[in-house]
Amino acid sequence: MALLEVTNLVAGYGKVEVISDVSFSLEPGKSIGIVGPNGVGKSTLLQAIAGGIAPKSGSIIFDGKSIAGKKPEDIVRLGLSLVPEGRQIFSGLSVKENLALGLTGRRNKKGATEAILKMRELFPVLSTHENHQAGMLSGGQQQQLAIARALISEPKVLLLDEPSLGLAPTVITDVFERLKEIIGMGTAVVIVEQRANLVTSFAEKTIVIRDGKVQATLTPADAANSESLQRSYFGAGE
Amino acid sequence: MKHGGVTKFSIQNLLGPIIVLVLLTHFVGSASTSLQLITQFALCLFVMVLALQVFVGNSGVLSFGHGAFALIGSYISAMLTAPVNIKDNALSMNQLWQPLVSPQVNIYVALLISAAVSALIAAVTGVFLMRLNGLAAGIATFALLGVAYNVFFNNKKIGPGSQALPGVPLIENNWILLLLAVISLVLVYFINISKIGRTLRATREDPMAAPALGISIFKVRLISFIISGAIAGLAGGMYSHVAGTFQVQDYYLEFTFITLSMLIVGGSASIWGALVGTFIITAVGQVLLMMEQDLPVFGIQVQIPLGSRAVIIALTFVGMLLWRSSGVTNGKEFRIPKIGRK
Amino acid sequence: MVQSILDAISLGGLYSLAALGLGLVFGVMRLVNFAHAELITIAAYTLVLTTQFPLAISLLFTIIVTVFVALLMEISIYRRLRGVNPAIMLIASFGLSTVLQRVYELMFGALPRSAVVAPFLRGDFKIAGLSITISSIITIVLTIVILLAMGYLVERTSLGLQLRAASADFKTARLLGVRSNRLISAAFGLSGVLAACVALILVIQNPQISPYYGLNITILSLVGIVIGGIASLRGAALGGFIVGVVLSSLNTLLGNGRVYAYSWLFLLVLVILLVRPGGLLSKGSELERV
Repeated sequence: MALLEVTNLVAGYGKVEVISDVSFSLEPGKSIGIVGPNGVGKSTLLQAIAGGIAPKSGSIIFDGKSIAGKKPEDIVRLGLSLVPEGRQIFSGLSVKENLALGLTGRRNKKGATEAILKMRELFPVLSTHENHQAGMLSGGQQQQLAIARALISEPKVLLLDEPSLGLAPTVITDVFERLKEIIGMGTAVVIVEQRANLVTSFAEKTIVIRDGKVQATLTPADAANSESLQRSYFGAGE
Repeated sequence: MKHGGVTKFSIQNLLGPIIVLVLLTHFVGSASTSLQLITQFALCLFVMVLALQVFVGNSGVLSFGHGAFALIGSYISAMLTAPVNIKDNALSMNQLWQPLVSPQVNIYVALLISAAVSALIAAVTGVFLMRLNGLAAGIATFALLGVAYNVFFNNKKIGPGSQALPGVPLIENNWILLLLAVISLVLVYFINISKIGRTLRATREDPMAAPALGISIFKVRLISFIISGAIAGLAGGMYSHVAGTFQVQDYYLEFTFITLSMLIVGGSASIWGALVGTFIITAVGQVLLMMEQDLPVFGIQVQIPLGSRAVIIALTFVGMLLWRSSGVTNGKEFRIPKIGRK
Repeated sequence: MVQSILDAISLGGLYSLAALGLGLVFGVMRLVNFAHAELITIAAYTLVLTTQFPLAISLLFTIIVTVFVALLMEISIYRRLRGVNPAIMLIASFGLSTVLQRVYELMFGALPRSAVVAPFLRGDFKIAGLSITISSIITIVLTIVILLAMGYLVERTSLGLQLRAASADFKTARLLGVRSNRLISAAFGLSGVLAACVALILVIQNPQISPYYGLNITILSLVGIVIGGIASLRGAALGGFIVGVVLSSLNTLLGNGRVYAYSWLFLLVLVILLVRPGGLLSKGSELERV
């Protein structure tokens, strides 16, 4: 059974429907990319899954339980974490404190110390800048912090909203290397990106969203074929 | 508060409330002496609620300070019309500044001066207050009320201080008060549908949009603040001529609460809301008062403990906010319901 | 002279506690709780009506009652107003404040209730040839202790971390697992404890309790928060402290004009707000986060 199963999801803000019918499924330890033009609703989709907004209709089954409409603080305790767009770290708090906040969502209160150590191994910047204000870190470092913060609750599924945003190319490569490691450790990952090539070659499958719906499903093989990428991105004959 | 507000002139939006107001004043105001007094006070409060509506309803900025303008308006109108010998006897032994003792003018001139001075004070304070946003503005307007109360309550040189000034001439004719109320209503209505009103409402959700559109929020807010100050001053003046006295305490927290309740319960987005709110709070207040005193209401006799009336009115206020923050009228102006056309 | 300085500091301390109580709730909910005044009032009533018990018992009971009322406020009214626009929240809290004042009048009557609380804390003691009021010293000591305790709670505990995070960005805090209901209730509960402390200090000096007892200090503390900076608890405490010190100083300096101390204070506030709309601890003309 799929770890995360999204079916006919409809979500938006107020009367506006941004996502009108999105479905996909994610197996444990696998990865899925979500791409599409700017403003198409990729963030809305992740927010609806993580509980930041309540979906209007459709179902979201995570680990056998329905989580649609649940509170975000409850969903994270079930094992689904979101790294929001723009990272949203608490710039006034220290790196250590930001990380400690991530522990709030752990299902298993024991093992916190081991988890912290593991994060530090994965992201050394957390040790070197431990007591610095998070707002003083560079973009790439903040992204690492944001991921570590979400990861420290040991989720089964990690959602990432545009992790490459505002980062230099070498930094992006670095971040994605770590994401590979994370997937290797068994966490299933959903990555939303505006830059299709970044994630299509990386994820097992990538869905393209346009006009609120899934228009195509791509594989890493398609990443090499820029024409088919463009077609699915912009729509054939448009 | 719902972002209602009408933008087009509609004769029924304007005439509806006027007609209702006239009918209420006529029927209720002549039913008995006590009801007449209640009607007169209600007309004054209605004008005050209109003052709140034109500012709060359009700008979305909460003002706890309008009582200050009512206080000033009432003070001016009372002091200018009270007989000289009353001022001399009752007050000057308390060091009233001599030049304030002698002037005495006609009631209507006094009311005009009240409105004008209040407008002036609103202009001066508005220059400072209208630059503030949200919470700061709310707290700052509270400070305005606090200062007015503090100064007038303690200063015996300019006025009666903590005591009441007796002998203020009464306006006994309901129709005069009604006329003043109608004038205020018409003024507020036209402001609401004017560019000022529409601009205020359009930019209140998004203060960033305004400069981009070349609008100065500060200017439109200030204008509506000044107008609302003038109308509040008028309301205060009217009040003193119905009560026959001027007393600082009458314009402080209780007054602020009652007038805000009327605005909220009726609906802050329209003049119809102001009217409905004033009517409901006045009517409910009266009924509860009679129940407190164990008097029969429309033949039914129920008694409620003393003091519970105040609690019930306050609960109604909070309840309305929880249930429907746009008030009973839900942000709409008066409209004749379309029957048979769905 | 020394007494005047002590008075100023102790009043500053008192107001900083009151402002902190308001600041806690504002931080997590962006709600200005006018009804905080009624928390102080109910605490004062409780203290004055339980003087037959030892002070410690009376105080403990007062804290329980005040926290209970604070939680009641949150659950019955404020919980339904989450996410609503700030103007509505402000006016709702004003309404709730009025409701409670009237309920108190119904329960306790409009005439002041009074009793002497902790009589051993009144009076003066002599040191180095000066005569100093015990209550001002006690107030200062108490304030320091409570502020230190609060500081520890906010800076070094998990609850404090969650409060700080939620004040900065509640949405993201929830995504990390911070339980919104529990946290907000905790903030209200803490504000209740602080209100009880404020009431204790007030009651020692002025044991005439009316339904409006807590209004004055709350309104002035609100002013303090706005001056100090809405963005942080430190700012709230600082703003409250400033208001207390200024008020006390004005009282001493103005002599006969001291009835107008409030007006001067309000005018000062207006000036500060014009120069720094976000409060003293903010950086210039920050657009408010309300």
